[in-house]
Amino acid sequence: MSLKSYSRARAVHVMLVYTGGCNGCDIEIVNCIFSPKYDAEQYKIFLTWNPREADVLVVTGPVTAHNEKPLKAIYEAIPEPKAVIAAGACALMGGVYKNIHGDIPSEEICGPVDQVIPVDAKVPGCAVRPEDVLAGAVAALPKLLDAE
Amino acid sequence: MDKDKITNETPKKQVIETEVPMGTVHSAAIEPYRIRLFVEDEIVKDAEITVGVNHRGVERIMEGLPVEKANSLTEKICGICSNSHIWNSVLVAEKALGIEVPERAQYIRIIMEELERLHSHMLYLAHGNEVLGHETFSMRLFYIRETVMELLRMIGGNRVQYGVSILGGIRPRADLNQMRIQKINEGMDFVEDKISNFAERFISDPMIMSRITGVGILKKEDALRLAASGPTLRATGVSIDLRKDMMEYDPFEFDVITQDDGDVKSNLLVRVLEIPEAIKIIRQAVKNLPEGGITNRSWEMYDTPITKSYIEVPRGKLYHSYALEEGRVRHSIVRTPSIANIGAMEQACIGCHITDAQLAVVQCDPCFTCTDRAIQIIKL
Repeated sequence: MSLKSYSRARAVHVMLVYTGGCNGCDIEIVNCIFSPKYDAEQYKIFLTWNPREADVLVVTGPVTAHNEKPLKAIYEAIPEPKAVIAAGACALMGGVYKNIHGDIPSEEICGPVDQVIPVDAKVPGCAVRPEDVLAGAVAALPKLLDAE
Repeated sequence: MDKDKITNETPKKQVIETEVPMGTVHSAAIEPYRIRLFVEDEIVKDAEITVGVNHRGVERIMEGLPVEKANSLTEKICGICSNSHIWNSVLVAEKALGIEVPERAQYIRIIMEELERLHSHMLYLAHGNEVLGHETFSMRLFYIRETVMELLRMIGGNRVQYGVSILGGIRPRADLNQMRIQKINEGMDFVEDKISNFAERFISDPMIMSRITGVGILKKEDALRLAASGPTLRATGVSIDLRKDMMEYDPFEFDVITQDDGDVKSNLLVRVLEIPEAIKIIRQAVKNLPEGGITNRSWEMYDTPITKSYIEVPRGKLYHSYALEEGRVRHSIVRTPSIANIGAMEQACIGCHITDAQLAVVQCDPCFTCTDRAIQIIKL
């Protein structure tokens, strides 16, 4: 393990972006990092709201049309190496909001997250469970640590 | 030409000195919304909140769906007060179709609603403490809240969207047996003990009290003029609680909590003091839980005109309306409590120091993801 990846593994900063979900996943992710029961901070995973500090971007919600541009801008602002986790059914496949009628496409939704920015790990569930969020964060870590 | 026309029509806010825009995604604001602060000498003179970023068109999706599906879709409006949405939409459909609900199901719905009030208020307090900069209290509250989340998971099967209410009763899975009742009682004992300890420490902390007293004042007249609802209104001294008027809450005794000042301190204290009241209701409901069936399946679907229902949810007043046609939803409108409180948030910001503006917004318990309901996206 190089010095860079050694130090990266000791301070993984997670940034959370809401893109139009129902708040359920977001609260569970904040809960997973903040709550003393799950306590992701013991694994050196910290929550931040600043993209310049972040290593991992957690996206929840189907990307609404208004949120597409900010989401891309945030993704660009995060320094390399970076990983993206899509959390929740809405972020994975649009959830209940994507084209539920079949014949009526919904104009407000830009589709799942992986159509807007590249996604490295996917966390299923409606709403996501804190255990799954931890597993997703662990799955995204190799991309950060193996980077030069 | 068109552009000029649009700029002329925009309502003009009085711009003094500097404008500080925040959003739509900002590091200080967790949810995506846009707030413009008009600042003079670091004092906020005017504020403007824009929502609509999260618009997903849930009501549009609901039109044409069978009632049962539409009911479960209302739950996806908000992840914090999901039970209130499904409860109110089921109540509307039951009112329209004249369905009688077994008493046991009513009681279990009340238990779920009050558990949700507990976790919503604790989340509010945790968020408020995080904005204050007191992470220890915030973590402490998340720790207490975890007990309530476990109870919700035990009853509904999911930590966030439990979907307990169905047309004519509740899901069989959510019925309470002796073991579950015992667990609820134990959980309530735990929460009451820990919350009273927290409240003692919170109130006797001079740093916190000096930070939140007199910040973000919302006057009583302003709150009534802006039609604020829920605990935000009660914190200004108006004793209005829709639960006192609801038929479902008739068998239970509880007090309406009010505070006088309308500042951040009053808002936090209203929520702190409402937690024991919610625990009181849950204890009564569990103790007097009636025997009998939980679902009434003998009802028929027919066309109904528009039916409306208001209920009191953790964050204020929630409105749902349905019009049914051939078992499907023809019309649906949802009005969430936070949209009524947006005016109150803007008003509370005025007169604050700019560093307190975020606190003044947070004190009104905003949930912008469920607020983006009444907004139409107009393409220019």
